[in-house]
Amino acid sequence: MLALDPILEGPLLWTPLFIIIGKVLFIFVVGLVATMFMVWYERKVVSGMQNRIGPNKAGPFGMLQTLADGIKSFFKEDLLPTRADRIVFRLAPFLAFVPAFLLWAVIPLGGDFSNGNDGTVTWFGHVTRVQLADPPVGILWVLAMSSIGVYGIMLAGWSSGSKYPLLGSVRASAQMISYEAALGLSLAAVLLSSGTLSTAGIVAGQNSLVDWNVISTGIVPFVIFLIAVTAELNRPPFDLVEAEQELVGGFNTEYSGIRFALFFLSEFMNVVTMSAIMVTLFLGGPQPLFDIPVIPGALEGTIWFLVKLFAFLYLFVWLRATLPRLRYDQLMDLGWKVLIPISLGWFLLLAALREFSPDGDAAESLRVVVISFVVAVIATGLFAAALKVSARNRAAANQPADNTGVTV
Amino acid sequence: MNALILATDNVNVAQNVAFGIIAAVMIFAALSVVTTKNVVHAALWLVMVLAGVAAQYVLAAAEFVAVSQVLVYIGAVMVLFLFGIMLTRAQIGKETGLNNKGWALGIPVALVLFGLLAWVIVDAFGDDVLPDRGPAPTVMLSDQFLSIYLLPFIAISFVLLAAAIGAIVLARKD
Amino acid sequence: MSQYLPIVVLFILAVLFGVLSFAASRLLAPRRPSIAKEAPYECGIVPSREPPERFPVSFYIVAMLFIMFDIEIIFLYPYAVSHTALGTYGFLAILAFSVVFFATFVYEVARGGLDWGPLQRGRTFTVDAAMVSPERTMTSTIRRVGTDGRLPAPGTEEAA
Repeated sequence: MLALDPILEGPLLWTPLFIIIGKVLFIFVVGLVATMFMVWYERKVVSGMQNRIGPNKAGPFGMLQTLADGIKSFFKEDLLPTRADRIVFRLAPFLAFVPAFLLWAVIPLGGDFSNGNDGTVTWFGHVTRVQLADPPVGILWVLAMSSIGVYGIMLAGWSSGSKYPLLGSVRASAQMISYEAALGLSLAAVLLSSGTLSTAGIVAGQNSLVDWNVISTGIVPFVIFLIAVTAELNRPPFDLVEAEQELVGGFNTEYSGIRFALFFLSEFMNVVTMSAIMVTLFLGGPQPLFDIPVIPGALEGTIWFLVKLFAFLYLFVWLRATLPRLRYDQLMDLGWKVLIPISLGWFLLLAALREFSPDGDAAESLRVVVISFVVAVIATGLFAAALKVSARNRAAANQPADNTGVTV
Repeated sequence: MNALILATDNVNVAQNVAFGIIAAVMIFAALSVVTTKNVVHAALWLVMVLAGVAAQYVLAAAEFVAVSQVLVYIGAVMVLFLFGIMLTRAQIGKETGLNNKGWALGIPVALVLFGLLAWVIVDAFGDDVLPDRGPAPTVMLSDQFLSIYLLPFIAISFVLLAAAIGAIVLARKD
Repeated sequence: MSQYLPIVVLFILAVLFGVLSFAASRLLAPRRPSIAKEAPYECGIVPSREPPERFPVSFYIVAMLFIMFDIEIIFLYPYAVSHTALGTYGFLAILAFSVVFFATFVYEVARGGLDWGPLQRGRTFTVDAAMVSPERTMTSTIRRVGTDGRLPAPGTEEAA
């Protein structure tokens, strides 16, 4: 069965067990190092874009700056506000960073996918995958973890017993669940072309450049997914959660010392893991674009994976340096009234195309597209009418209710 | 030794042990839901119970159902719960007056419900052994709800419509 | 099931990492709590208003809508994965489901369930009277925290 990691089939013996433990430790270290790197990378790239120097003291090019900051946070006083809910306040950082770690488990980090290989490698005489686990519902694991991640932010804000964190966390959780819907719908389009929920299976299905889901699903789900992920990560331009001008520091205002460090860690780790998820879903994960000579296939997969990952990391930093923050109503309108209808419609279009023109026959495809276009026009008209009705009701409600009041 | 404990092919020892542990955690969490003095804590214990249910589904090889459980109940329903609690009564600390006079009545009701459910499950499945799943349970799932259970499936969409109307009607009365 | 074993191990490792971090911080970090430090953060301003009792109802509506979408998405996935095996019949079923769902969504939008931003309602001055009263001066609204909980700056002891 493709969807399972072969090493975990059958009775477990010592060698596979050691391989698993080795993998877990490796993933753990990779997670921490990648996060530390991401923090440094973001600071360095942003400073380059803003014509500054950025971190340059600790280690070569300041690369150890994050490590220094991390060590420093151990020595900082860890405050527990008087009005905080003590248990939940302590629990919230765990709810934020444990799911962030667990996301690594299903990401294919490498493997030999060249020439249609299925991506397994042989270590110590055991066939396995270069990913921690490959459950049959792998990609839904990602959604599940990100929906648990909402709790960390929500509870951190509430348990602080302070108004800015509460406001920030309510904003954040509403924003995150809104964009999770768009995320889930655009993911459905990928599943349509891959036909499996396993991450390794999704990667294996993207054999050549035209099979990469970014192309085979027609770029729209990719763009929606990218926007939704940016919002899900509370990254600029969707970083209303920590809009400094309004909310001080957002949900983690009352956190200090190591607790704050763990929130910070999970935030940046999520950037890396979500980029990796996008690489897996849309850019073929460790699938090579062309064969690199000399380097063995198994290592090549990891190299390709890292190259693609960097593209996304750079994109996120670039977005941050370029785009101004959205207003909250604009943010919600974008999520609910633009991304969600488009992703649902696009999913149905792709499903119809696959259903009624499975061989990609031009005439049949054209017919499906024309019919879909008509349906889309009707749906858009309906939706526009709904928007108009709501705008009218709103305008009516905007009339001052009582004349005794002074409109401020 | 190792092989014996961790093998899940035909020996169900590990599975049963895991079931017992998770069930114990769930029972403790469920009791905490009703005994804790803080509404948000109660909601979090409820999350724990729901997560336990998801873990049990995984043990029963129903992974898709497990993920649905996490996504819908933990990721959506409980978030709504917490929104409701946090945004209307955001006080922190112990609260009094969470129990009303009829609280003792809940115990027999809970026992009767438990007995009923247990009876139904034992009656329906008895000593049945969990069937070995085919290669793609998700395919089976969709095959089921799009054929045999099509009517309930379509009915769900209307239930959702009704729920949406209800939400708007309730919420807009501010 | 054994596919989940590594995930369980990773979970334990992650929790352990958090616990050990807290323990290390407890050993290494100073503990000098003071009233000013532990008060809710207000930029040094004495809070004049509690956080609002009730938040805008839109937040609840968003959460409720999200439940609906989650259910819709959960039904889409099995179809998406196995659409080739299900054929036209499956497509029509999912289409019917989506059409009803879209109608629900349109209704929700039309009723203003997803409108954000403040409505400009008339407000009376009495509500804001406290905010513009002459009582609010520099001495009454800014919290003077002093230096309690801080180490004395070097050289200040002689001066004091």
